[in-house]
Amino acid sequence: MNPPAPRKPPLTSPDLTDHDLPGIGHRYELRSADGGRVVVVIHHSGRRDLYVVEPGHDEPQAVVALTDTQARTLGAILGGAYFKPAVVEEIEAVIGGLLIDWFTLDAGSPAVGRSIADLEIRRRTGMTVAAIVRDPQPVTAPEPGERLQAGDQLVVIGRQEDLARLRRHLAAPPGPDPSEAPDG
Amino acid sequence: MGDVLIGVGGAFLAAGIFARFGRRLGLPTIPFFMVAGILFGPQTPGLVVVEHPEDLELLAALGLILLLFHLGLEFSLDEMVSGGRRLLLAGGTYLLLNVGGGLAFGIALGWGTSEALVVAGAIGISSSAIVTKLLIELRRLANPESRLILGIIVVEDVFLALYLALLQPVLGDASGPADAALDFLVAFAFLVGLGAVARWASGVVGRLIDTPDDELLTVCFVGLAVLVAGVAEEMGVSDAIGAFMVGTVLAGSPVAERIERLVLPLRDTFAAAFFFAFGLTIDPGDAGDVVVPVALAVLLSVVLNVLAGQAAARLNGFGRTAALNIGLTVLGRGEFSLILATLAVGAGLDPRIGPFVALYVLVLAIVGPLLAGLSPAIARRLPRRPRPEPVPA
Repeated sequence: MNPPAPRKPPLTSPDLTDHDLPGIGHRYELRSADGGRVVVVIHHSGRRDLYVVEPGHDEPQAVVALTDTQARTLGAILGGAYFKPAVVEEIEAVIGGLLIDWFTLDAGSPAVGRSIADLEIRRRTGMTVAAIVRDPQPVTAPEPGERLQAGDQLVVIGRQEDLARLRRHLAAPPGPDPSEAPDG
Repeated sequence: MGDVLIGVGGAFLAAGIFARFGRRLGLPTIPFFMVAGILFGPQTPGLVVVEHPEDLELLAALGLILLLFHLGLEFSLDEMVSGGRRLLLAGGTYLLLNVGGGLAFGIALGWGTSEALVVAGAIGISSSAIVTKLLIELRRLANPESRLILGIIVVEDVFLALYLALLQPVLGDASGPADAALDFLVAFAFLVGLGAVARWASGVVGRLIDTPDDELLTVCFVGLAVLVAGVAEEMGVSDAIGAFMVGTVLAGSPVAERIERLVLPLRDTFAAAFFFAFGLTIDPGDAGDVVVPVALAVLLSVVLNVLAGQAAARLNGFGRTAALNIGLTVLGRGEFSLILATLAVGAGLDPRIGPFVALYVLVLAIVGPLLAGLSPAIARRLPRRPRPEPVPA
């Protein structure tokens, strides 16, 4: 009967509402741009139900039941983990003020070939590189000495306001001379 | 030992296969577990899987304990308070109509006052299990009225715990009014005592059994639930109340969410044994005596539920489809009716209560989901309230 220990991060979008469904799980409702509703029900069993309700209706037009794994895959796709549309400059996941973003290094980036310590990413931008998605083997919790390569997808974590600084830092040369060859 | 194991295994399998058949038709599982018990028990000709119902006694008791433990675990006063006055009013109206109507019906049956009280609860309180499953299967979780339906169920669950305490003198072996009052006071004190633990000390109890290991957590919470249920029973309070209160104590602890997940398969298994064991005690030959009362009770429940649905919808500003959805979904009867019947039969009340509740639950199990599924179609056919004719431009 005590209030449950805080386990959910606060909602960050004004379009999103949520409440408990006693005996079933938790319900999230997202108001879509056209006035319709998307309702996600997360069951205690891990099952997710996705309801799509068109504007002006009470009954859903489509209902999909997903397993835990399927739901995570769909969530990752929607979050842009696999493919980021070019028109969208930033796709971020914000959880309670903490931001997780994916950042791909193209071959022209001055950061290619330099190590994380060398780039002073944390000191200069406040963001942390949590993992590097790289073929054939992703690197989790990379050491400071890890050298970045062209095509690396950096998974970065930090405060939302520091993201722009990181983008500038990795897109523009860190040193005074942009033509300076990377060491090594 | 071998014959007991064969009986227990056969009981689970028969219950499972029967309920699978029911699921194909979109019907709830609980009555089918019970029907399997009736058909494969000693009271009916043909294959007898369980010769001696007492072989299943312990398993059935665990089923009852876990059903109520889970209910307590889901119980959240905050949820009820956050639903506000309108939810309490909607739930209260529902209970007033249905339990009140059930009590009047029970008295009219003329089986006795104690029996009337049991009948009132058995036909007045909805089945959480059947209603929630129905909402999921009818794909109505996105509907605005579904939250209200689940809210009404929560109010009913709380009422059930209080009602069990109230029934304690009736179901116990009280020999006089003073004895009965004492029984009620002990039951009530027990509720208040564990309620206080739930309010202020659930963290301490949670820490007592908290471990990151799912295996150990399961062993510990099962132990705690069964132990407290047993102590409650020894104190003259029913094991059902004890189990419910342990659930509410743990509901406020940080491990609540993990226990909710871990207890489900255990609850489902042993609850099936409970329903099957109840079926074993039913002789279909007695059905003849209760057919008319059951038909009347079903009719009464449908009418009172639709009325209660209208009232709840009116209070919350929902339309007539939602109103009918509420009334016909909350119509589900199952575990609580059967729990009350089991307690009543155990206490030596009128034996007709067993077959009466069994048949009532069975009929509503088939009629209820059917009506709930059809409710939007029925609502469309209802006469509309007169509306001003659109003026042609």
